[in-house]
Amino acid sequence: MKRYLLSWIALVVLATLSLFVSTSGIALSLAIATVKAAIVAAFFMHLWGSRPVHRIVFVTAVCFIVLLILGVVADVGTRDIAGPYVP
Amino acid sequence: MSSQYESIARQHATARVGMWLFLGSESMLFAGLLALFAAYRISYPVAFYEAAKHANLVLGTINTYVLLTSSLTVALALHATELGKRRASVAWLLVSIALGATFDVLKIVEYAQHVGEGFSFGHYYTSTLLPTPAVLYFTLYYALTGLHALHVTAGIVVLIWLALKVRRGDFTPASHVAFENGALYWHLVDLVWIFLWPLLYLLR
Repeated sequence: MKRYLLSWIALVVLATLSLFVSTSGIALSLAIATVKAAIVAAFFMHLWGSRPVHRIVFVTAVCFIVLLILGVVADVGTRDIAGPYVP
Repeated sequence: MSSQYESIARQHATARVGMWLFLGSESMLFAGLLALFAAYRISYPVAFYEAAKHANLVLGTINTYVLLTSSLTVALALHATELGKRRASVAWLLVSIALGATFDVLKIVEYAQHVGEGFSFGHYYTSTLLPTPAVLYFTLYYALTGLHALHVTAGIVVLIWLALKVRRGDFTPASHVAFENGALYWHLVDLVWIFLWPLLYLLR
Protein backbone atom coordinates (compact mmCIF):
# COMPACT_ATOMS: atom_id res chain seq x y z
CA MET A 1 0.00 0.00 0.00
CA LYS A 2 2.83 2.37 0.93
CA ARG A 3 4.61 1.45 -2.31
CA TYR A 4 1.54 2.50 -4.35
CA LEU A 5 1.19 5.82 -2.55
CA LEU A 6 4.87 6.61 -3.01
CA SER A 7 4.63 5.72 -6.72
CA TRP A 8 1.63 8.04 -7.11
CA ILE A 9 3.41 10.90 -5.30
CA ALA A 10 6.44 10.42 -7.58
CA LEU A 11 4.19 10.44 -10.66
CA VAL A 12 2.41 13.63 -9.61
CA VAL A 13 5.72 15.36 -8.79
CA LEU A 14 7.19 14.31 -12.16
CA ALA A 15 4.08 15.44 -14.07
CA THR A 16 4.26 18.83 -12.35
CA LEU A 17 8.00 19.06 -13.07
CA SER A 18 7.28 18.23 -16.69
CA LEU A 19 4.84 21.15 -16.83
CA PHE A 20 7.45 23.60 -15.52
CA VAL A 21 10.24 22.49 -17.86
CA SER A 22 8.00 22.10 -20.93
CA THR A 23 9.72 25.00 -22.71
CA SER A 24 13.10 23.25 -22.45
CA GLY A 25 12.25 20.99 -25.35
CA ILE A 26 10.54 17.75 -26.18
CA ALA A 27 13.57 15.57 -25.30
CA LEU A 28 13.39 16.46 -21.62
CA SER A 29 9.58 16.04 -21.55
CA LEU A 30 9.92 12.57 -23.09
CA ALA A 31 12.71 11.64 -20.67
CA ILE A 32 10.43 12.52 -17.75
CA ALA A 33 7.59 10.58 -19.39
CA THR A 34 9.88 7.54 -19.66
CA VAL A 35 10.65 7.69 -15.93
CA LYS A 36 6.90 7.98 -15.19
CA ALA A 37 6.18 5.00 -17.46
CA ALA A 38 8.87 2.98 -15.71
CA ILE A 39 7.27 3.71 -12.32
CA VAL A 40 3.82 2.65 -13.57
CA ALA A 41 5.22 -0.54 -15.15
CA ALA A 42 7.43 -1.47 -12.19
CA PHE A 43 5.03 -0.84 -9.31
CA PHE A 44 1.42 -0.50 -10.50
CA MET A 45 1.85 -3.26 -13.10
CA HIS A 46 4.05 -5.27 -10.71
CA LEU A 47 6.88 -5.89 -13.17
CA TRP A 48 9.24 -5.28 -10.24
CA GLY A 49 9.74 -8.78 -8.86
CA SER A 50 7.46 -10.40 -11.44
CA ARG A 51 8.19 -13.56 -13.40
CA PRO A 52 10.94 -12.95 -15.99
CA VAL A 53 8.60 -13.91 -18.85
CA HIS A 54 6.42 -10.85 -18.12
CA ARG A 55 9.45 -8.60 -18.27
CA ILE A 56 10.65 -10.25 -21.51
CA VAL A 57 7.32 -9.45 -23.20
CA PHE A 58 7.37 -5.86 -21.90
CA VAL A 59 10.99 -5.16 -22.87
CA THR A 60 10.48 -6.72 -26.32
CA ALA A 61 7.47 -4.50 -26.98
CA VAL A 62 9.39 -1.39 -25.86
CA CYS A 63 12.35 -2.34 -28.10
CA PHE A 64 10.06 -2.81 -31.12
CA ILE A 65 8.40 0.58 -30.56
CA VAL A 66 11.77 2.32 -30.16
CA LEU A 67 13.09 0.56 -33.28
CA LEU A 68 10.04 1.60 -35.33
CA ILE A 69 10.16 5.23 -34.24
CA LEU A 70 13.96 5.53 -34.48
CA GLY A 71 13.86 4.08 -38.00
CA VAL A 72 11.25 6.61 -39.10
CA VAL A 73 13.00 9.52 -37.36
CA ALA A 74 16.39 8.53 -38.80
CA ASP A 75 14.94 8.53 -42.31
CA VAL A 76 12.71 11.59 -42.24
CA GLY A 77 15.15 13.55 -40.08
CA THR A 78 18.12 13.15 -42.40
CA ARG A 79 16.46 13.79 -45.77
CA ASP A 80 14.44 16.74 -46.94
CA ILE A 81 11.51 14.72 -48.20
CA ALA A 82 8.55 16.67 -46.91
CA GLY A 83 8.20 19.49 -49.40
CA PRO A 84 5.40 22.04 -49.11
CA TYR A 85 2.15 20.67 -47.70
CA VAL A 86 -0.49 20.00 -50.35
CA PRO A 87 -4.01 19.65 -48.95
CA MET B 1 -10.18 -24.89 -14.30
CA SER B 2 -9.75 -25.76 -17.98
CA SER B 3 -8.82 -29.37 -18.65
CA GLN B 4 -5.49 -28.69 -20.34
CA TYR B 5 -3.93 -27.32 -17.14
CA GLU B 6 -2.36 -29.31 -14.30
CA SER B 7 -3.45 -26.81 -11.70
CA ILE B 8 -5.33 -23.57 -11.29
CA ALA B 9 -2.01 -21.86 -10.56
CA ARG B 10 -0.70 -22.91 -13.98
CA GLN B 11 -3.86 -21.63 -15.65
CA HIS B 12 -3.52 -18.27 -13.91
CA ALA B 13 0.18 -18.03 -14.81
CA THR B 14 -0.74 -18.60 -18.47
CA ALA B 15 -3.50 -15.99 -18.27
CA ARG B 16 -1.00 -13.42 -16.97
CA VAL B 17 1.49 -14.09 -19.78
CA GLY B 18 -1.36 -13.95 -22.29
CA MET B 19 -2.40 -10.56 -20.94
CA TRP B 20 1.13 -9.20 -21.26
CA LEU B 21 1.28 -10.43 -24.85
CA PHE B 22 -2.05 -8.71 -25.54
CA LEU B 23 -0.77 -5.46 -24.04
CA GLY B 24 2.37 -5.79 -26.18
CA SER B 25 0.30 -6.04 -29.35
CA GLU B 26 -1.98 -3.18 -28.16
CA SER B 27 1.06 -0.94 -27.75
CA MET B 28 1.99 -1.54 -31.41
CA LEU B 29 -1.36 -0.04 -32.42
CA PHE B 30 -0.28 3.25 -30.83
CA ALA B 31 3.34 2.86 -31.99
CA GLY B 32 2.33 3.13 -35.66
CA LEU B 33 0.48 6.40 -35.07
CA LEU B 34 3.30 7.74 -32.90
CA ALA B 35 5.82 6.99 -35.68
CA LEU B 36 3.61 8.90 -38.11
CA PHE B 37 3.38 11.77 -35.64
CA ALA B 38 7.20 11.82 -35.32
CA ALA B 39 7.59 11.89 -39.11
CA TYR B 40 5.18 14.81 -39.59
CA ARG B 41 6.50 16.74 -36.62
CA ILE B 42 10.03 16.54 -38.06
CA SER B 43 8.76 17.50 -41.51
CA TYR B 44 6.62 20.46 -40.41
CA PRO B 45 8.12 21.67 -37.10
CA VAL B 46 6.74 25.23 -37.25
CA ALA B 47 3.15 24.18 -37.99
CA PHE B 48 3.23 21.55 -35.21
CA TYR B 49 4.72 24.05 -32.77
CA GLU B 50 2.01 26.60 -33.57
CA ALA B 51 -0.77 23.99 -33.56
CA ALA B 52 0.25 22.56 -30.18
CA LYS B 53 -0.17 26.05 -28.67
CA HIS B 54 -3.87 25.64 -29.43
CA ALA B 55 -4.19 22.37 -27.53
CA ASN B 56 -6.08 22.89 -24.28
CA LEU B 57 -3.17 22.56 -21.85
CA VAL B 58 -5.36 23.08 -18.76
CA LEU B 59 -7.79 20.25 -19.57
CA GLY B 60 -4.99 18.01 -20.88
CA THR B 61 -3.04 18.51 -17.67
CA ILE B 62 -6.07 17.93 -15.44
CA ASN B 63 -6.64 14.70 -17.35
CA THR B 64 -3.01 13.70 -16.75
CA TYR B 65 -3.50 13.98 -12.98
CA VAL B 66 -6.89 12.25 -13.26
CA LEU B 67 -5.43 9.21 -15.06
CA LEU B 68 -2.36 8.99 -12.81
CA THR B 69 -4.67 9.01 -9.80
CA SER B 70 -6.96 6.40 -11.35
CA SER B 71 -3.97 4.09 -11.71
CA LEU B 72 -3.38 4.47 -7.97
CA THR B 73 -7.02 3.74 -7.11
CA VAL B 74 -7.08 0.65 -9.36
CA ALA B 75 -3.89 -0.60 -7.67
CA LEU B 76 -5.51 0.01 -4.26
CA ALA B 77 -8.67 -1.83 -5.38
CA LEU B 78 -6.61 -4.86 -6.39
CA HIS B 79 -4.65 -4.65 -3.13
CA ALA B 80 -7.92 -4.64 -1.15
CA THR B 81 -9.06 -7.81 -2.96
CA GLU B 82 -5.70 -9.43 -2.17
CA LEU B 83 -6.43 -8.69 1.50
CA GLY B 84 -10.01 -9.98 1.22
CA LYS B 85 -11.53 -6.53 1.81
CA ARG B 86 -14.40 -6.66 -0.66
CA ARG B 87 -16.16 -3.44 0.30
CA ALA B 88 -12.96 -1.40 0.08
CA SER B 89 -12.15 -3.02 -3.24
CA VAL B 90 -15.55 -2.10 -4.74
CA ALA B 91 -15.22 1.43 -3.35
CA TRP B 92 -11.80 1.97 -4.98
CA LEU B 93 -13.12 0.56 -8.25
CA LEU B 94 -16.05 2.99 -8.17
CA VAL B 95 -13.63 5.89 -7.60
CA SER B 96 -11.56 4.64 -10.57
CA ILE B 97 -14.65 4.41 -12.78
CA ALA B 98 -15.59 7.98 -11.82
CA LEU B 99 -12.08 9.19 -12.67
CA GLY B 100 -12.19 7.39 -16.02
CA ALA B 101 -15.58 8.97 -16.78
CA THR B 102 -14.18 12.39 -15.81
CA PHE B 103 -11.38 11.87 -18.31
CA ASP B 104 -13.82 11.05 -21.11
CA VAL B 105 -16.08 14.02 -20.32
CA LEU B 106 -13.16 16.47 -20.31
CA LYS B 107 -11.99 14.97 -23.61
CA ILE B 108 -15.41 15.60 -25.16
CA VAL B 109 -15.28 19.21 -23.90
CA GLU B 110 -11.89 19.60 -25.59
CA TYR B 111 -13.11 18.10 -28.86
CA ALA B 112 -16.15 20.40 -28.87
CA GLN B 113 -13.92 23.42 -28.29
CA HIS B 114 -11.52 22.48 -31.12
CA VAL B 115 -14.28 21.69 -33.60
CA GLY B 116 -15.92 25.03 -32.70
CA GLU B 117 -12.67 26.80 -33.55
CA GLY B 118 -12.43 25.04 -36.93
CA PHE B 119 -9.59 22.79 -35.76
CA SER B 120 -11.21 19.62 -37.02
CA PHE B 121 -9.61 16.68 -38.85
CA GLY B 122 -8.84 15.99 -42.50
CA HIS B 123 -10.81 18.14 -44.92
CA TYR B 124 -13.24 19.16 -42.16
CA TYR B 125 -10.42 21.38 -40.86
CA THR B 126 -11.57 24.91 -41.72
CA SER B 127 -9.34 27.22 -39.68
CA THR B 128 -6.98 29.54 -41.57
CA LEU B 129 -5.27 30.77 -38.40
CA LEU B 130 -2.29 28.37 -38.55
CA PRO B 131 0.19 27.25 -41.24
CA THR B 132 -1.59 24.65 -43.41
CA PRO B 133 0.31 21.53 -42.19
CA ALA B 134 -1.31 22.13 -38.76
CA VAL B 135 -4.16 20.02 -40.13
CA LEU B 136 -1.79 17.04 -39.78
CA TYR B 137 -1.25 17.84 -36.10
CA PHE B 138 -5.00 18.00 -35.47
CA THR B 139 -5.81 14.90 -37.50
CA LEU B 140 -3.21 12.92 -35.53
CA TYR B 141 -4.40 14.57 -32.33
CA TYR B 142 -7.90 13.18 -32.96
CA ALA B 143 -6.57 9.77 -34.08
CA LEU B 144 -4.26 9.35 -31.08
CA THR B 145 -6.52 10.76 -28.37
CA GLY B 146 -9.62 9.19 -29.96
CA LEU B 147 -8.03 5.74 -29.97
CA HIS B 148 -6.86 6.36 -26.42
CA ALA B 149 -10.29 7.56 -25.25
CA LEU B 150 -11.77 4.41 -26.78
CA HIS B 151 -9.38 2.43 -24.59
CA VAL B 152 -10.36 4.47 -21.53
CA THR B 153 -14.00 3.68 -22.29
CA ALA B 154 -13.27 -0.04 -22.74
CA GLY B 155 -11.29 0.13 -19.48
CA ILE B 156 -14.30 1.65 -17.70
CA VAL B 157 -16.46 -1.27 -18.91
CA VAL B 158 -13.83 -3.71 -17.60
CA LEU B 159 -13.74 -1.91 -14.22
CA ILE B 160 -17.55 -2.03 -13.94
CA TRP B 161 -17.46 -5.76 -14.71
CA LEU B 162 -14.74 -6.25 -12.07
CA ALA B 163 -16.70 -4.23 -9.48
CA LEU B 164 -19.75 -6.47 -10.05
CA LYS B 165 -17.60 -9.58 -9.71
CA VAL B 166 -15.95 -8.35 -6.52
CA ARG B 167 -19.36 -7.49 -5.04
CA ARG B 168 -20.66 -10.96 -5.93
CA GLY B 169 -17.65 -12.48 -4.16
CA ASP B 170 -16.19 -14.12 -7.28
CA PHE B 171 -12.65 -13.34 -6.21
CA THR B 172 -10.66 -14.65 -3.25
CA PRO B 173 -7.32 -13.33 -1.93
CA ALA B 174 -5.67 -16.35 -3.59
CA SER B 175 -7.59 -16.39 -6.88
CA HIS B 176 -8.41 -13.21 -8.81
CA VAL B 177 -6.44 -13.35 -12.04
CA ALA B 178 -9.19 -11.57 -14.03
CA PHE B 179 -8.85 -8.62 -11.66
CA GLU B 180 -5.05 -8.59 -12.09
CA ASN B 181 -5.41 -8.57 -15.87
CA GLY B 182 -8.15 -5.94 -15.90
CA ALA B 183 -5.95 -3.72 -13.73
CA LEU B 184 -3.02 -4.25 -16.14
CA TYR B 185 -5.21 -3.05 -19.01
CA TRP B 186 -6.09 0.12 -17.09
CA HIS B 187 -2.43 0.82 -16.33
CA LEU B 188 -1.56 0.42 -20.03
CA VAL B 189 -4.11 3.12 -20.85
CA ASP B 190 -2.33 5.31 -18.29
CA LEU B 191 1.07 4.47 -19.86
CA VAL B 192 -0.11 5.58 -23.30
CA TRP B 193 -1.40 8.91 -21.95
CA ILE B 194 1.93 9.51 -20.15
CA PHE B 195 3.47 9.82 -23.65
CA LEU B 196 0.55 11.50 -25.43
CA TRP B 197 0.46 14.38 -22.96
CA PRO B 198 4.01 15.72 -23.59
CA LEU B 199 3.79 15.01 -27.34
CA LEU B 200 0.46 16.75 -27.94
CA TYR B 201 0.24 19.36 -25.19
CA LEU B 202 3.76 20.21 -24.02
CA LEU B 203 5.11 20.55 -27.56
CA ARG B 204 5.84 24.25 -27.26
